[in-house]
Amino acid sequence: MSSSEGKLTEDEIALYDRQIRLWGLAAQTNMRSAKVLLINIGSIGTEITKNIVLSGIGHFHIMDASKVSEEDLGSQFFLSCEDVGKYKIDAVRERIMDLNPRVELQFDIESVDSINEDFFKNFDLIIATELNREQMLKINQITRKFNIPLYLSGSNGLFSYIFVDLIEFKSEDEKLKSIKATETGYISTHREIVHVETRQDDEDPEKVFEKITTRNTYKHFGEMLLSPTLEKKLTKRQLKRVSNVLPMTLTLLSQNCSNLDEFKNETIKMCDRLTINPKSLSGDYLEQFYNQIGLEFSPVSAIIGGAIAQDVVNILGKRSSPLNNFIVFDGITLDMPIFEL
Amino acid sequence: MARQSNIVRIVGNDSYEKLRSTKCLLVGAGGIGSELLKDLILMEFGEIHIVDLDTIDLSNLNRQFLFRQRDIKQPKSTTAVKAVQHFNNSKLVPYQGNIMDSTQFPLHWFGQFDVIFNALDNLAARRYVNKMSQFLSTPLLESGTAGFDGYIQPIIPGKTECFDCTKKETPKTFPVCTIRSTPSQPIHCIVWAKNFLFNQLFNAETNPNLNEEDEEENKDWGTTDLDEINRIRQETNELQELQNIVVSQQENRIHEIIEKLFVHDINKLLLIENLWKTRTEPTPLDITNIQNVSDEPSKKLNLSEIWTINDQVQQLVHVTKKLMKRMPKEQNHIEFDKDDQDTLEFVATTANIRSHIFNIPIKSVFDIKQIAGNIIPAIATTNAIVAGLSSLISLRVLNLLKYAPIKSPTDLNMAFTAKASNLSTNRYLSNPKLAPSSCNCPVCSKVVRGVVSVSSTKYASLTLQNLVDLIKDKYEYTDEISVLDTKNQRLLADFDFDDLLNKTLNDINLTDGTVIMFTDEDEDENGLCHKPLELYLDITETLPTGLDIRLPELEIPLVKAITSEEATAEEEEELSVEKNLTEENIIVLDEEEPSTKKRKIELEDEQAAKKTKSEVEDVIELD
Repeated sequence: MSSSEGKLTEDEIALYDRQIRLWGLAAQTNMRSAKVLLINIGSIGTEITKNIVLSGIGHFHIMDASKVSEEDLGSQFFLSCEDVGKYKIDAVRERIMDLNPRVELQFDIESVDSINEDFFKNFDLIIATELNREQMLKINQITRKFNIPLYLSGSNGLFSYIFVDLIEFKSEDEKLKSIKATETGYISTHREIVHVETRQDDEDPEKVFEKITTRNTYKHFGEMLLSPTLEKKLTKRQLKRVSNVLPMTLTLLSQNCSNLDEFKNETIKMCDRLTINPKSLSGDYLEQFYNQIGLEFSPVSAIIGGAIAQDVVNILGKRSSPLNNFIVFDGITLDMPIFEL
Repeated sequence: MARQSNIVRIVGNDSYEKLRSTKCLLVGAGGIGSELLKDLILMEFGEIHIVDLDTIDLSNLNRQFLFRQRDIKQPKSTTAVKAVQHFNNSKLVPYQGNIMDSTQFPLHWFGQFDVIFNALDNLAARRYVNKMSQFLSTPLLESGTAGFDGYIQPIIPGKTECFDCTKKETPKTFPVCTIRSTPSQPIHCIVWAKNFLFNQLFNAETNPNLNEEDEEENKDWGTTDLDEINRIRQETNELQELQNIVVSQQENRIHEIIEKLFVHDINKLLLIENLWKTRTEPTPLDITNIQNVSDEPSKKLNLSEIWTINDQVQQLVHVTKKLMKRMPKEQNHIEFDKDDQDTLEFVATTANIRSHIFNIPIKSVFDIKQIAGNIIPAIATTNAIVAGLSSLISLRVLNLLKYAPIKSPTDLNMAFTAKASNLSTNRYLSNPKLAPSSCNCPVCSKVVRGVVSVSSTKYASLTLQNLVDLIKDKYEYTDEISVLDTKNQRLLADFDFDDLLNKTLNDINLTDGTVIMFTDEDEDENGLCHKPLELYLDITETLPTGLDIRLPELEIPLVKAITSEEATAEEEEELSVEKNLTEENIIVLDEEEPSTKKRKIELEDEQAAKKTKSEVEDVIELD
């Protein structure tokens, strides 16, 4: 079924018409030769799978050792009530295969803990959801060792986060040239413009585009948790407006808190480390967040799964500016800031 | 742990019960619609009605995840409902129909919903549903995507900005001379090929001579050069002869068409020296290209590559022959359709040959299809994100989040994809608070809206005078009010026109779904009068017993009377907008050009559907 080599067929061009018009034939062809691994297919994993399989990726491998629970039915649309008790992989397999027969799919009933690390070498990119801190640290160590881009994500009810480690990634963006030419140099702590090329539009000679090459550098997960700070990264005004969800999420990822009070104290400490004022923390938010730790919620998964899949498609196909490196989402205000931590 | 345990922990027991009894309307089961349907089901909304007019197409499958190859040509609404059964826990009611059809979807039908989700792809339907939501004060979740760009906007009628409070982009138009004499971009040549040439040749109903005179007066020539205008007129007349070649299927004269369009007409253009003082002169097509055309159908060409001029000409001859043969079978009337390969290739090759003549870059058939068919790129991820946002914010719109009660509707947020649209590097989404309704908006602010419900027995005898009296009485108008049918701006009554007052509403064609506007013409000593009132006429059997007509409870504020000069100025502005919209060279719409073949099939289906309408509308209740 899969034809990962050569040009796209007329059939493929017709099927992927509406997206080829967005990212071009070359990007679509690049995607067809990519191999992606998804670790755990929960609510966010389900959304990522849907989006990536529809996009026409070459090879998609899903790994999950869990069995279907009643609770899963509330946020995972590949499941049906008859599936409760089955291995999740067995329950979702047929429905995912039916989604896009052109994608080469593989399924494994396997936990990330029991896998030989050489297995991961087979992939161009790895996405992992629902992992605990130790698992995230371990998988990131492996992806660093083999130089593989990694996306981590998890959800806490109305709140969610994405962590990205592309190690080092050169992206190419094109934009209309403004009066002031773009200059090379650092534009933020993690991003440096290394090359700018101009190109005249072949239809309208008055339009000049700049092709900007940016070097994105990343921190691994452990390094980010060790010393997260926003000092000198944000202006005073921006610091004042930082979402409560950032310190709460980082606290959750780096500490084990056994009750709300402890969580509150640790979050205040986290605010200090981030150089944001703990006074802006709202008690309601803390309680609400704490009560929703680990909960999966379909619309939030749709947003997070959409954002991850879009970035994956971007870097595999188009290579335009990737996420860098920590994103939190607040499902109440729809706030979704990106931090370089 | 049960399937609803997460949602119960997020919203609480009371709100969960409310969700289970909430009835929502989902307008559209396409890109955003499929995603919304999934989200609303998993959020445990009690009842979801899904309306879509369309059938499934191959190019939908890259993002509309509920549909498969085997579903192509099936209706979207019913197919979507079947596809979600394995995880569905809500009552689902699909309809195949146009949401703007007030027979199938009268206002009181809209009235059953607690919230409306728009997942539409065109301006007209968005505007219509927005108006319905204003009439009924039903909250509306508006959303849209184009490529990487997406937005959602909650609309709380009377409280926050409505869909029409902000100006929407109007279609792009080009002056006649740019298209006919001095193209400088590929799009100019594509418009020439599609909107002008194709019609002139393949639509025998287009009589070039008549056509031209009709629009003479209002035409935006884009030039005052009389030579040029005369040349354009003459050229159009000469096309009649070319149409005759096509209609009489004289294959051996195709080269005459090509010579006329790409050699003789260009030579005539070159004679108007004024045009080329500041522009590069066009070069007529090399005649050898034409004479070398073989009779053999052209070799298999790649649609996403750029062809040589020789290949363009070869393929043009080939598709023109095919189109000629089709003429008698299709009543000498073929319409351009981006999904009809012959018409697409005719437009692509003629546009490219013209581009070549004018030193404009030529394009692949694939690229021309996008411009000529106004195809808007669309991907799964943006739709998923937008649907997630729309369904999520609906919880706050319905005030179901216990930790985040809304004190004022303007505390709610809208959202758009800031990072993906290259508007921000440090925000994935932008989430501005909603703005209050705009005082200049003709839809939500300049008039007061409501529904007048009438039983059908009462309606049969209700005269316009009766209605006017009831309204004067209810809303305390003094004497002078004028009455207008907004559908066609027909004046029904005012201080010196009372001929229709004694007729019944039915006599004067004020039927179910008509919007009647009442204007207070009598300002008080302070120069104030009632704000105009728009009432939607709803003929219904759902009125409480003993009641045969019901006027809405409305407060109609007094506003400064509009002087007649202001009114005229405004009218003129509206007229000029209308005029622009009917200008002949409109090409860019917000909606993809539908496939005409598909529409024809749908029309037949619709007729069939009408016969068995009761069956189609029957509630499909699975689960």
